[in-house]
Parts: sequence; structure tokens; C-alpha cells
Amino acid sequence: MVEIFTQLGAGFINCLTPANLVMLVLGIVVGLLVGVLPGLTLVMGVVLVLPFTYQMDITAAIVLLTAMYVSGTYGGAFTAILFRIPGEPLDVPILWDGYTMAQKGRAADALGWTLIAALGGGFISAIVMVLMTQPVANFALQFSTPEYFAIVLFGLSSVIALGRGSLPNAFLSLAIGLLIASVGTDVIYGSYRFTFGMPILADGIEFLVVMVGAYGVGEVLTRLEQGFATKPIAKIEQASTRLPSLRELFRLRWMFLRSSILGNIIGLVPGAGATIASFVSYGVEAQYGRRRREMGTGIPEGIVAPQSASTASVGGALVPLLALGIPGSGATAVMLGAFMLQGVQPGPQILLTSSTMVYTIFASVFLGIALMCVIGFYFIRMLVRVLDFPEAIVSAFVMLMCFIGAMSIRNNITDLWLMIGFGVIGYLLERFRFPVAPMVLGVILGPIAEESFMNTMISFGNDWTVFFTRPISGTIMAAVIITLLLPFLSWSRRRMKAGAASS
Amino acid sequence: MAQRFKAALPYFVGLALAAVLNHLAGTITYPARPGQLGPDVWPRIAIAIIAVVCIYEIAKAFLLGGAHSGVQGIAEHLNAEDEAESEPATGSRLSLLLGGIGLTLAYAVLVPIFGFLLASYLFLILFMYLGGIRNHVAIWGSSTVGMLVFAFIFLKVVYVSLPRGVPPFDQVTQFVMDVVQVR
Repeated sequence: MVEIFTQLGAGFINCLTPANLVMLVLGIVVGLLVGVLPGLTLVMGVVLVLPFTYQMDITAAIVLLTAMYVSGTYGGAFTAILFRIPGEPLDVPILWDGYTMAQKGRAADALGWTLIAALGGGFISAIVMVLMTQPVANFALQFSTPEYFAIVLFGLSSVIALGRGSLPNAFLSLAIGLLIASVGTDVIYGSYRFTFGMPILADGIEFLVVMVGAYGVGEVLTRLEQGFATKPIAKIEQASTRLPSLRELFRLRWMFLRSSILGNIIGLVPGAGATIASFVSYGVEAQYGRRRREMGTGIPEGIVAPQSASTASVGGALVPLLALGIPGSGATAVMLGAFMLQGVQPGPQILLTSSTMVYTIFASVFLGIALMCVIGFYFIRMLVRVLDFPEAIVSAFVMLMCFIGAMSIRNNITDLWLMIGFGVIGYLLERFRFPVAPMVLGVILGPIAEESFMNTMISFGNDWTVFFTRPISGTIMAAVIITLLLPFLSWSRRRMKAGAASS
Repeated sequence: MAQRFKAALPYFVGLALAAVLNHLAGTITYPARPGQLGPDVWPRIAIAIIAVVCIYEIAKAFLLGGAHSGVQGIAEHLNAEDEAESEPATGSRLSLLLGGIGLTLAYAVLVPIFGFLLASYLFLILFMYLGGIRNHVAIWGSSTVGMLVFAFIFLKVVYVSLPRGVPPFDQVTQFVMDVVQVR
């Protein structure tokens, strides 16, 4: 424990070096702006910044991306509460109570609750992250391929079960992602799969190309089809923050803790991110909270639950990334890409080989959360003014960033074509109500899943029961089954309720 | 019946694609090792998921008439308000979309010829006009400044290898590189 605190202290000192500090502040401001702008999602923002990091020191690059990730979970709450414009999908639950509270003339209170929720949830998750990463990494050293496969499968099943959209369509989207990930040279045999004689496809399809296309170009095309119809902003004078009193905070202490821990746990699950944390936390509060019947009427619980969970998911998502080398969310997948582009492989060994870097990243999360709240408190009016900027101009530059991102990954024009293709696929999936996230996560986690599956089959003589008979992988596989059954249980419960109501 | 067929159509396409992909997976060549799974197994698992989902959805469309009654993710139940706000696309907006896709494809075709800087400059201007901006000063001003900033960042600060273009268009790239003092 003493060693952890010593290393964290050194991390804070490293974080305060000019280069890292500049990246931290820059990341916070850009993340807040990305959060405010409805056409730019958090993951998309992190993807677009990636090309800027190519020549940076790895620590500064990850500090920049982490700062963006943290503040991106907070910025969208301003516009959700003030103008009923959720900057991010994760802000939709905040809108339900936050905007209602603002309509009652208590916008400053709603913004105050948001700030405290982000601060509290963020700090709780940062503490958990620091305390958990080392033990998880140590534990992961015992893992063999069946355990890795089970963990990845758990991540994929959670995204399908907890996310938005119909379950079969989510499975379809996931399968498409797994297929895309299988393009290229097979790692076991070295044989070509679905390359159609194109040399660049022999190297596979970079998941960053898919992410830039699906999240970047796909989103811009969706907004273009809607005619860039962002509502004009008004009532900017309401944009101020009033912090809740200690008494008010004390009243919500358990709910605060519950939402933060829930967000953290969801963040820990490979694949599940801030949006899922926000929705699930709001759902738990709406079903089991003390004031569940008042949810949606503009109460602090409806703001604190989603906001603290979404910010808390950040610390959680960084744990599997650093300790296992498995991204915990879309944004951490981009960070994994940044690590790999710099030749660093996150995983159980990283705390042994690059502990200074890891603890600097930890420190940047703490500093980032504090700084984000300070900037949010004092510069809120300036931040929401960005909505006055014409969306068509912002989107034109977003497209350009996507092009640069695609061309710079492998310095190849073919990646630009692939990225545009995935942009159109992303748009079509969105248009026909297929969830995009499972496809993207299938592309990211597919190669890890396949490699661990194939190696298990080779090592254990094609005995698939090994996934269920080994204690750790068996427990995780049981969790996979329970997770996949959750939507069916929820569905049958709703049917029973509807049946009882009609009779 | 037409309604049911319409609901099932995307899944018929998916099923056909799954069949084609399954055939392609069968053509993967590899040195077979006895008792060991081949490189076609993993893609075939994904293809099987696609096929099963498509068959399920087709059956659902014909048996239930395409009624939206399936099992959904947990977050979906909470998101009714968000869904209610989404609007269907109108004809004119579809033309915007097609224009955007066309412009993007044209960019990909022209970027090796015009070079990154000139192709991107033209793309920015045309995309802004397409997006409905009619303030010419804002369009040309932001595109020019934006392009110079991008050139400075990506050609001088963060060196990214981007296409220079073919003669005579590469002269434009050279001119901008001289302006931002890239050697």
C-alpha cells in the first residue's frame, strides 16, 4: 500500500511537468467541447485526436486521451440540462431530471448536482482504479487462454445485453464485427482470409479504421441527413452553477456511493462504457431507489445516478486496459491503439515494466477530474457558446480529421476507402436501428477472442468443456450466461406485468 | 404479406450474404493438421450467428407480421423519450446525404491526384455549402485558415505522411508547405 502511494505521489509530480500538464488541460477543454457538441461523441473525439499523438511521448499522449475521456463524460450534461440537447448518448438520462429541474427555474441547482456527481463519482472510481489495478494484474498473471476467452466473451455479452436496440440485431452487429476482425492473415496458420487478393487486406483491417468510419463519418452522415438541425441556444444567462449544501449531499450519500460503485463495476466489464453505466444506474435508481416514483420529475437523484456512474466508469474502464490489455470501453480501445502505435503493450506486465507511466496516468485522472470541475464551474457560459458555431463547419472539419486519421494509420489510401466504407455501414446500421457498438467491439475484441479460443482448442485437444470446468473461466462463463438471460427475464417480467394490467 | 416481406427483406439479404461468406470460408487454404481446428472455424462461428439471427427474424416477420415485440437490451427500455425525438428523413435531406457520400467518395478519388491540401481545401468548402452555410466569408475564411493550421500541424509539428499530389497539383502542396515553412 505504501508503495502504491509513493508511486502515485511520483505520478502527480510527473503529471505536473509542463508537457503533461499542457496535455492535461488541453484534453480537459477539448473533452468538454466534444461533450457539449451534439454531433461529436466522446469516442469519436478521442479517435479524432489520435493522429496528433503520433509524435508525442507515450505518457503525454495517454494523459491527453484520458483527460478527454474523463471530461467528455461531463461536458454534455450542460447542454442536456440547459437546452435539452444531450451532447452525448450518456447524457440522455441526465436530461430527464436535469432539464425538468431547469424548467422549474432551478438550472443552477441541476448543474451543481451534476458537478458534484462527476467529482464524487470520478474520485471514487479513481481511488478504486489505483487500488485495483495491481491486484488485478497480479491475478491476471495466473490466467491462461480459457480465462482470457471467457473475459472477452463476458465483455461482448454485456454490451449486447445491456445496450440499446433489439437483441437479435445486436447479435447480428457483433457477428459482422467478428467477421471484419477475421479479415487478413490468420495468426495460427498464416493463411489469408477474405483478402480478395488485396495486399493491404492481408494485414487485416485496423480497428481504428472501423472506429473512425463508424463513429466519425457515420455520425456526420446521420447529422447531414437531418440537415444539421441543432436547436439554436437561448437563455445563456441561466448557465451558472450552484453547489448543493453539505446537508443535501449527506442525504444522498448512499445513493451516491451506490451509483459510483455501479458505474465503476460497469466500467470494469470489457466493452461496456459510460453510456451503459449512465442508463443502468438511472434504471436501478428508477426501480429500487427511495424516491423511485418521483424519478423524471426533476429530483437530484435522477441527475446524480447517471452522472456519477458515467464518470465513475472511466476509472473502471482503465483497469482492464492496463492490467489485462483488454479495452473496457470504446474510448479505452482508442487508447489501446495509441499504446500499440507507440510499441507499448498494456497487460499484466505493464506495472513491472512501465510503472512510472501507469502511475502518471492514474495521477492525471485525479487531476483531470478536479480540473474539469473547476473549468466547468467557471467557464460554463463560454463552453456552451460553442453550440452557436455552425454545425456544418464543425462537421466539415470532423470529416477532414477522419480522413487524416484513416490515412495516417498505415500511410495508405486504401485505409481511406475502407474508412469511408465503414462510415456508410455505420450510417446504415444507425439508420435501420442496428446498434453500432457491438460491431465496433466485435472488431476490437474479436482478434483477442479468436486467438485465445484457438490456442485453448490446441492446448486442450479441442475440448470446449474446459471453459466451464476451470474455476475462473467457469465462473466467468456462468456470468456470461446470466448476462445473456437478463434481457429475457426483463422481457418476460414486462409481459407478465402488461398481462396483469390488461386483465 | 407485402408488409411482412418488407420487414424480412434485410434478413433475406443477410442470409444470402451469410451463404456467400460461408462458401468463401470454405475456400481458405491452409496446411491442415490432424485433430486441429482450421482458420475457417472462427469466421464460420460468426457466419452461423448471422444465419441464425436472420432465420429467426424472417420467421418472426412472417409469423408475427413484423410486429416489434422482440427482446431488447436493458438500456432500450429507458430510452423511449430519445427515440421519440428522432425524425424520418425527408426527400430533400436524402439528397443531402447522397451529396455528402458523393463528395466523400470524390475526395478519396482525388486526394492522390490533387494532393491532401488542395483536395481537403476543396472538400471543406463544398461540404460547408452542402451543409447549408451561405456565408461566403465564413466558408472561405475558415477553410483557408483551417487548411493552413492543418498543414502546419500535420506537416511540420506532427509529421504525418499525406499525399502530395501529381504534377501540376503538387505545386499547390509545395506552395502551402513554403507558406508554413515546412522543409
